[in-house]
Amino acid sequence: MSPAPAHVAGAGMVRFGKYPAEVTLESMALGAARAALADAGAGLGSVDGLYVGHVFGGPVAGQRIAAQLGLDGRPVSNHENYCASGATAVREAWVALAAGLHDVVLVIGVEKMTDRVAGGVRPDPGDLDAAVGYVMAAGHAMSARRYLADHEATREQIAAVAVKNHAHSVHNPWAQYRKPISLDQVLGARPIAEPLGLLDCSPISDGAAAVLLCNPAGLRRLGIAPTGPRVRGVGLVSGSVQTGLGDINAEDVSRRAGKEAWRLSGVEPGEIDLVEMHDCFTIAEIVRMEGLGLVPHGRGAAWAAEGMTALGGRLPVNPSGGLLSRGHPVGATGVAQVCELTWQLRGTAGGRQVDGARTALAYCKGGTVNGTDGGSVTTVVMTA
Amino acid sequence: MPSAETSSSTAVRGRPFREGLLALEPPRLLGSRCTDCGAASFPARAFCPSCRTGAVEPTELSPDGRVHSFTVVRQAPAGVEVPYTLAWVDLPTDRVRLMAQVVGVVPEAVALDMPVALELTPFGTAEDGAELVGYRFRATGEVAP
Repeated sequence: MSPAPAHVAGAGMVRFGKYPAEVTLESMALGAARAALADAGAGLGSVDGLYVGHVFGGPVAGQRIAAQLGLDGRPVSNHENYCASGATAVREAWVALAAGLHDVVLVIGVEKMTDRVAGGVRPDPGDLDAAVGYVMAAGHAMSARRYLADHEATREQIAAVAVKNHAHSVHNPWAQYRKPISLDQVLGARPIAEPLGLLDCSPISDGAAAVLLCNPAGLRRLGIAPTGPRVRGVGLVSGSVQTGLGDINAEDVSRRAGKEAWRLSGVEPGEIDLVEMHDCFTIAEIVRMEGLGLVPHGRGAAWAAEGMTALGGRLPVNPSGGLLSRGHPVGATGVAQVCELTWQLRGTAGGRQVDGARTALAYCKGGTVNGTDGGSVTTVVMTA
Repeated sequence: MPSAETSSSTAVRGRPFREGLLALEPPRLLGSRCTDCGAASFPARAFCPSCRTGAVEPTELSPDGRVHSFTVVRQAPAGVEVPYTLAWVDLPTDRVRLMAQVVGVVPEAVALDMPVALELTPFGTAEDGAELVGYRFRATGEVAP
């Protein structure tokens, strides 16, 4: 028995990018929140509670936002699962709505990174991998190196993910980067962690995204017909401790996250029309799609190069441009994915619209833990 | 007069940067091994992550490894000197895989399945002034210059 779906009454973002100091975490969150409320035609008085996902926002960032927004006094919770923080906030909001604890809730994902993070993100300093020099880019680079050796894939095929996602983002007004890039640009970019270069990596970004979610009682309160996109279920799994000398790209954590998504939503993998995938690095999109079982094992790089995962292809992945070009303000990403799914399922995504989109999935993976195959993985399944 | 010391012999005088992580003389990583299924872990864990049922006991791991995958890190957060070679190192005898830096080979010559051996390395200074000791792996065998 899975919890009931949550209706997306409104969705809104501020454009992701690199903002000066006067654009604060709070001001970006307010911009996204007001856009979501306006999209729903809802006032602050209708909101029962606030769920906020962030990583670097500091203590009680959600309450700081609430005090400026006018949601002071109401239940506010802060959610940290590294890059899956925003999606985790969506999950907890969905659970609260299904339980009848609240009827209308606002979910905000927000991050101000440019003044707090430089040179790339890494695990907690207490983690053993961090102590020996691990940075996120290095983990994905080792994944790519092994993928190339094990699947007769090419560097060009992996780079095709960046070319594809940047081509998509040309049509996304909320994206940090909106210019197409060439294969040669990806291959010739400054090396970050070989074989990956700068354009294989998502940027350090600022931004915020928000959705107003409600249950049937909330829909009645807002006077909204139950015809819009719904969150059918949000899976959450954690990495498990690995033993032995298996495939570092086995993505068992993604397989389990997918299983949770199908179990909680009642949707089957074959029904998915599009995916917003956590492409923090080019290779990550490839191995995670394979782990979910949506692309055959070892074929993800070839699929990207052949256009199978491009708009108009068999299974479009990251029509928004993904993290690589929409940007990756880590706590905001999971909520931005839900915004994109909402627009896709409403059929209002403009030049990046996936034709006939009825069912969609968003995947986030957050953080690393020594000895495991990941930190947290979320899977949001939505239907029109 | 002793000859110039290697980093390893210097390191032996200090203490591991985390307790229970490694033995200094001879250099060995310290893990745990399940008394039931035999699966080994590094670092040591209080449970067997493989069978989840057996008791675990401390064990010294083999110092002989091979590179399962690697990268040359060219950009890192402030305070971290680049470039350096980071690898997934397999210890085939123990069937343990761990992350560690690899030295003794230029980045262009690192290769998959390359043999490497454990060595100690200085790891900064503790608050009480003691030298801290970490671990890394050094390329062995025939490696392209």
